[in-house]
Amino acid sequence: MNAVIFSRSTVILVILTLTQTLSPAAGPVSFQLDVQPILSASGCNMGACHGKQRGQNGFQLSLLGFDSNFDHDAVTRGARGRRVFPAAPQQSLLLQKAAGELPHGGGVKLVPGSDDYNTLLNWIREGARRRLPDEATLQTVALQATEFTLSPGQDAKLKVVATYSDQTERDVTAHTTYLANDDTIVTTQSDGSIRAGKLPGETAIMARYMNNICVANVVIPQSETLPARLFSELPRTNFIDDLVYAKLQKLSIRPSEPSDESTFLRRVHLDIIGRLPTPDEARDFLADASPGKHERLIDDLLQRPEYADHWAGRWADLLRPNPYRVGIKTVLNYDNWIRSQFRNNVPYDQFVRQIVTARGSTWQHGAATLYRDRRSPDEIATIVSQLFLGVRLECAKCHHHPFERWSQSDFYQFAAHFAKVGRKGTGLSPPISGSEEFVFDSDKGSVKHPVTGETLTARPLFGEYPQSDASTDPLTPPTLRESLADWMTAKDNQFFAKVQTNRVWEAMMGRGLVMPVDDLRMTNPPSNPALLDALAKHFADIDYDIKKLIKTIAMSRVYAASSTPNSTNVADRLNYSRHYRHLLRAEPLHDAVLDVTQSTSALPAMPPESRATQVWTTRIDSLFLDTFGRPNENQDPPCERTPDSTVTQALHLMNSAELDKRIRSDTGRAARLANSDLSSAELVDEIYLAAFARFPSESERTYATELVETAESRRDATEDLLWAMINSPEFSIQN
Amino acid sequence: MSIFNTNCAGISRRDGLALGLGGLVAGGLSGVLRGVAAAEPRPNSSSIGHAGLGRKQADACILVWLDGGPSHYETFDPKPDAPAEIRGQFSTIATQTPGIQFSQPMQKLAAISDDLAIVRSIRHDQGNHGAGNHYMMTGAPPRIPVGCGAFVSFHPSLGSVVSHEVGAPEGIPAYFSIPSMSRSGGPNFLGAKHAPFVVPDDPNRSSFRVRDVTIPTGLTDARFQTRQQIRSEVDRMLRFNQAAAGDPAVAADEFFAQGLKLIGSRQAQTAFDIHQEPSPLRTAYGRHPFGQRALLARRLVGAGVPFVTLYSGGWDHHRDIFKSFDAKMPPVEATIAALVTDLKQQGMLERTLVVVLGEFGRTPKINDRGGRDHWSNAMSVMFAGGGIKGGQVIGATDRHGYAAVDRVLSPENFVSTIYTKLGIDAGQAMRTPEGRPVHLVSDDQPITELMA
Repeated sequence: MNAVIFSRSTVILVILTLTQTLSPAAGPVSFQLDVQPILSASGCNMGACHGKQRGQNGFQLSLLGFDSNFDHDAVTRGARGRRVFPAAPQQSLLLQKAAGELPHGGGVKLVPGSDDYNTLLNWIREGARRRLPDEATLQTVALQATEFTLSPGQDAKLKVVATYSDQTERDVTAHTTYLANDDTIVTTQSDGSIRAGKLPGETAIMARYMNNICVANVVIPQSETLPARLFSELPRTNFIDDLVYAKLQKLSIRPSEPSDESTFLRRVHLDIIGRLPTPDEARDFLADASPGKHERLIDDLLQRPEYADHWAGRWADLLRPNPYRVGIKTVLNYDNWIRSQFRNNVPYDQFVRQIVTARGSTWQHGAATLYRDRRSPDEIATIVSQLFLGVRLECAKCHHHPFERWSQSDFYQFAAHFAKVGRKGTGLSPPISGSEEFVFDSDKGSVKHPVTGETLTARPLFGEYPQSDASTDPLTPPTLRESLADWMTAKDNQFFAKVQTNRVWEAMMGRGLVMPVDDLRMTNPPSNPALLDALAKHFADIDYDIKKLIKTIAMSRVYAASSTPNSTNVADRLNYSRHYRHLLRAEPLHDAVLDVTQSTSALPAMPPESRATQVWTTRIDSLFLDTFGRPNENQDPPCERTPDSTVTQALHLMNSAELDKRIRSDTGRAARLANSDLSSAELVDEIYLAAFARFPSESERTYATELVETAESRRDATEDLLWAMINSPEFSIQN
Repeated sequence: MSIFNTNCAGISRRDGLALGLGGLVAGGLSGVLRGVAAAEPRPNSSSIGHAGLGRKQADACILVWLDGGPSHYETFDPKPDAPAEIRGQFSTIATQTPGIQFSQPMQKLAAISDDLAIVRSIRHDQGNHGAGNHYMMTGAPPRIPVGCGAFVSFHPSLGSVVSHEVGAPEGIPAYFSIPSMSRSGGPNFLGAKHAPFVVPDDPNRSSFRVRDVTIPTGLTDARFQTRQQIRSEVDRMLRFNQAAAGDPAVAADEFFAQGLKLIGSRQAQTAFDIHQEPSPLRTAYGRHPFGQRALLARRLVGAGVPFVTLYSGGWDHHRDIFKSFDAKMPPVEATIAALVTDLKQQGMLERTLVVVLGEFGRTPKINDRGGRDHWSNAMSVMFAGGGIKGGQVIGATDRHGYAAVDRVLSPENFVSTIYTKLGIDAGQAMRTPEGRPVHLVSDDQPITELMA
């Protein structure tokens, strides 16, 4: 770099002569309308480069160019003004770095002589102005076509048009960035061309031009069309089947056969109550030949006490705070409150309203805990919008959301609903933090815009507050939080119903219609938008009754499909043409081990008959639960679990001393069966029903019976059989 | 999960790295240009090569975590000329290296100081245990304010990242934490696969076994074989082998096979069997839990484990610091010295980085209970092995030890040093399962004096 500096005067002369040969761009160059799009399209302001918090190598741009003033400052004033040099434009660091004439960590981004290079050059030559006189503003950006149906390998072209305040239009295709949600389905090029992959499927492409986002949908149907009769003849229970089959027909995917009765039995038990059927329950269900037995089973399970523990546990993942932060008693109280909501089947809107408007002691009213854990309006706003609206605002805290329409003002106006949350009592002073705190609605407190410093008025993210109920006393107007709860839970707020419906759907189906489940945005479209809409509407129609929603899903034919693929749906992991297998969650798997070995838990600080689904804090040690991915207590809620299996899990089921003790216990299932009067064949039936909820096939029965019969020790053989079953995927995977 | 293994261009991370390194070897460029050479072949990569990213210098790291924040005064940064209320009760001792002095308790380490590099100038702004732990263990400050008692995780820990980026052979877990996980030692968004494998039991006991990696006690090999055979008969669930089907049973098979391989691997099983060590060496490490854990750590590294955290609690000396140090430090520092010496004798020190630290240093003035309180303005970190130049001190605190003033370094520089040593690009952007790009370290500059 030194070399460049001392030779500057000579270079200037050379460049001055060179520049005369370059053709000037048409009209004056605008920073905002011409220069910034080039920086964005070249990736300069990406999160991994100069767009990151501290910039890169001393040069920081606003992320994706959301702040033109900041960027203009950085380009024209940063680095002691060396980035632009109007007297000798080509000597500008901005161009030399981008052109790779000086070492640049990001490589060569602009080729000298290219249109983009010349635009930057002219802008610098014209004085690197922030604004032109009477400069137009960008108003809308649109894709010319948004729906593409392609055959494998086929090419297509996207076209993006920007419209400005002076009614002019420009083709900005070349300065738009494109991102396919699944690049095995379709790949994109920076010039807007797209190419379908080899396999049938579908995905969305996000096109972003200067903070404006458009989405194109690409479908690659199976090459062979299936006869319409195939779909019209499929048996259906409810709208879920209609909407899933409609989508499958469009994609020419044939759904899998219905699963067999024992698979359905095991599936619905684990999904609704998080535990295996007992051998007797399995025997009864499999022997039942009367109609309506699925519905009866589903109704029975929804009334079981285990239902509340299993489903409350999912919400505890999302809400349970770090005990070191809020105090252990508060954690227990919160847990009790969450469980009671599910025990009483409190409608979901009331559940949420109680949290959003919570007041009172953290030792008396569990819902108030959210405000003990989260102290500032922006922290509360982030979790409330993500959990209950599926809107992730975290990005908008610091900058315009890169994939969404949310601005910093939107975020802080939403946060302003929590500006007047008052607290009394002992605050957080971990590790003690043991004290009680009272949450109330104060008349003090405000939220300011972090950049402008302006005090913001609370406003919903979109739309207006609904008319408050007639019963509202004019002397006590609703608090900010009550107004927010009214707006959130209003039946026309689709986000509210959608995110919870999507969570329940994911729990039952192994995959959410939107993934991640609480990330609803235009650029992350659902795999079946009509189905998510219909489910959300259904959820509102049944007054947010979670049990009824579960029943609707469990009754559908789609839910009861086999996981075994056919030739058309083996690659389908989006459209529910088959059931998607998944590893059991840590708690149901732990409890399944207890049940199949007929042993009791050894969970510290829990009563002896406790089940893992009842564990109320991650501070209750369990190597088993940790190994199978229960969220680490260190993590900040909401904790989404990763469903991946690991070698440590395999090792734990194989060799854990605790599990070995359960299998070989004198009072365990293996010992009881071996010591019983049951014949070897009966023993084998019993153990298959306990572990797999099915009878053995003929050959399985023959093998296992002979094993038990001919073993030196009937007990050892039974134990070994049990070990083998626990270590088979059929045990630990939901089929 | 492919999301973790591919960068923007769809090249797998390791391929990307290999490309970059290939460019390096071929180009033979000077330090500044290395990053450029590494970055050029993959312009779409989310990672910008840094000056520090070059040759991988170590295969493994043993991180000795002295939880609570050991005093810099009573360890590696004595201040003999400070007033008594700052200097404390210990004298200053000469080390093997002329010009370098340690505090009185560090006898055994002083005797091998030619193999050690002491960084005296790391400072940060997180003066409570929860936050300090998180900052040093992950290189990222906590995202929201946390308190002393907090166990928090907002970012993957050193060990989890190494597990993700380097891995281990023979189905051995790549990240061990002995005997417990450190507060912020978790995987965060990298997932359960990269959580530490915790070995809680005491290797100093004759009955010691590493949990889960060997056949349960009381089960014969023959019976274990029988069980395998029964399982192969009983396991009849259909597998959908096409990758596109995403069958978790296929993944489970892979891990089951790995587990079996581990149980059958002589190399791995030898690593776990500390009882094979000769008695004099076991004594040299110290016949106490911490000593034997350090020896186990060396065995694990020998078997290809790239990251081991050795956790030692109780370094939060708010009272009676001198009495406590007298009792507590000699066996611990002797173990660390034995570890470094043993690694050297085994020929492993060159490729094994040993790091000793806690979450912060301690207050200059001795408080009225004879202790020192939390102080993040200055702390000392010990390095050995992994190609570092021994016999050096990097940076300095002021004359009374209040603050790092010369060569002030950050926790980011600290973790970047470990990553760079292990051949991991500290500047890379990782993606969370939600697809959010997250920088591994926001400042990827390693401590240059420690880089060869």
